[in-house]
Amino acid sequence: MSHDEARAAELSAGFPRQTLVSIAVFCVLWQALSYFAPALGIPAFAIPGFAKIWASLIKITPIDVLVTLARVIGALILSFVLGVALAMAMYRSTSLENYLHPMVRLFMAVPVVSWILFAVLWFRGVEFRIAFVLIAVCGPVFLVDALDAMRGVPKELRGMMRSFRPTPSQFFIKLMLPAILPSLITSWKINLSLAIRVVTIAELVGAVTGIGHQLAVAQELFSVADVFAWTLVLVALLFALEAVVARFERRVLRWRA
Amino acid sequence: MSGPAAIAVRGLRKVFRQATTGQTVVAIDHLDLDIAPREVVAIVGQTGCGKSTFFDLMIGLEHPSEGAIDIGGKTPYADFDYFRGRMATVFQQDRLLPWRSSYDNVRLPLELMRVPEDVQRQRSMHWLKRLGLENFTNAYPHELSGGMRQRVAIARAFVLQPEILLADEAFGHLDEVTAAELRETFLALARECGSTAILITHQLEEAISVGDRIVVFGKSARLLADIHVAKWDKSEYGMLREAIQATLQGNAPDVRFAHERRITR
Ligand SMILES: Nc1ncnc2c1ncn2[C@@H]1O[C@H](COP(=O)(O)OP(=O)(O)OP(=O)(O)O)[C@@H](O)[C@H]1O
Ligand SMILES: [Mg+2]
Repeated sequence: MSHDEARAAELSAGFPRQTLVSIAVFCVLWQALSYFAPALGIPAFAIPGFAKIWASLIKITPIDVLVTLARVIGALILSFVLGVALAMAMYRSTSLENYLHPMVRLFMAVPVVSWILFAVLWFRGVEFRIAFVLIAVCGPVFLVDALDAMRGVPKELRGMMRSFRPTPSQFFIKLMLPAILPSLITSWKINLSLAIRVVTIAELVGAVTGIGHQLAVAQELFSVADVFAWTLVLVALLFALEAVVARFERRVLRWRA
Repeated sequence: MSGPAAIAVRGLRKVFRQATTGQTVVAIDHLDLDIAPREVVAIVGQTGCGKSTFFDLMIGLEHPSEGAIDIGGKTPYADFDYFRGRMATVFQQDRLLPWRSSYDNVRLPLELMRVPEDVQRQRSMHWLKRLGLENFTNAYPHELSGGMRQRVAIARAFVLQPEILLADEAFGHLDEVTAAELRETFLALARECGSTAILITHQLEEAISVGDRIVVFGKSARLLADIHVAKWDKSEYGMLREAIQATLQGNAPDVRFAHERRITR
């Protein structure tokens, strides 16, 4: 059985057995710890049992999940459009590229926390701050990946395409975009997990909705069970989004088979 | 269709500056060449002698350093858009778009010309059929053999019914039987379409079987010989072959070409 077939079988059977086992072992250990915590001198709230976590889980407010999801998707779409548009402009103009490339490198070196502090100091609107942070973090990733991918389009294919004399927009739509699609999908995967992690930190500051805000509330209440529950939701959200991208990838990249 | 125009190459020169070393390479040095409408010309020459560069200039991908290519009063580089739909190239590698099926690859040039969908469909299917690919219209390039991919590339060129057909070692990497077969098909179709065809090749057999005319390039696309094959009897083909070989090896016209119309200057 080839590697691909093995993977396909794995996917169709849901989780592989090893995954289930490791998750079960973790759960049993956690539950055991929560029983013996007082005896070990650990405060009872620090390791809540699954009954408590379940109680927190059913209190999860869907609106906060939706708000966070909307922020992530909205900011990612904006980053994508801006990043790819700028990459196209830089691809076509070497001088623009020479000016912008160092700036982009600089942007990418700035820590997320600095972006959040800048956003708080510069802007008042909460939504704007969150969008700013997400775009500042994810935009350059789309830009750099798209530009690299465009550079990687074989000279032979570009020459072939040009020999049929396309308009500049046809050249991009019929050659460059499909050629870089695999890299774009990879950037989406990277940026999804990046954005999910960054959005919660951004929401910690000043937001009154969203998963990040709920995490801040849980922290004020010393509720480890709530933090655990919201974290589970975040992880599930990321997995769900990744599954959507993977589905899309399988559909549009059929030609690679 | 009014038919193709004559091609006049005058004092064509192309100099490259190597990006790393800064050295200049004269790929083409003052080439003069006339090609009549509907003529089928084979270009032979040793590797690196500037054949592909000549094609890049013909296609209009590069601009000449000096001199010009004139096709019916237009130049491929300056009048780039004029030649949309009038010129098509088959390259050495098939250069198919891997994300498009055979059918979608073949109709690409028509798509770029914004030909109506139903015409695209009808013409693409016609040429796919002509090249024996009717059962592979929905196959992606990676599902086809090298010969089949090259057939798709040929269909993609013919779908335009171009006035000028260029083929750069289009059959070079195929086995002899397939190459001969595809070459025959290519030439028959080119004659049928009334196109002017220029074929670059390494193989002398191929050049001779092409028919009308063989142009031998020396270093920097120097015109070493311009052979009208019709003037040679079939029984002399062996000698012709040897003469071309000697010309290529000596980088100077062989004495046996003394009676040809035009020899290098
Ligand atoms: N873009 C370029 N930049 C610099 N030098 C180039 C470039 N393209 C071609 N050359 C040089 O021009 C010369 C002619 O190259 P060309 O590709 O036209 O040869 P060719 O006759 O097609 O050879 P082959 O039969 O191997 O395909 C070579 O010396 C090559 O190094
Ligand atoms: Mg070449």
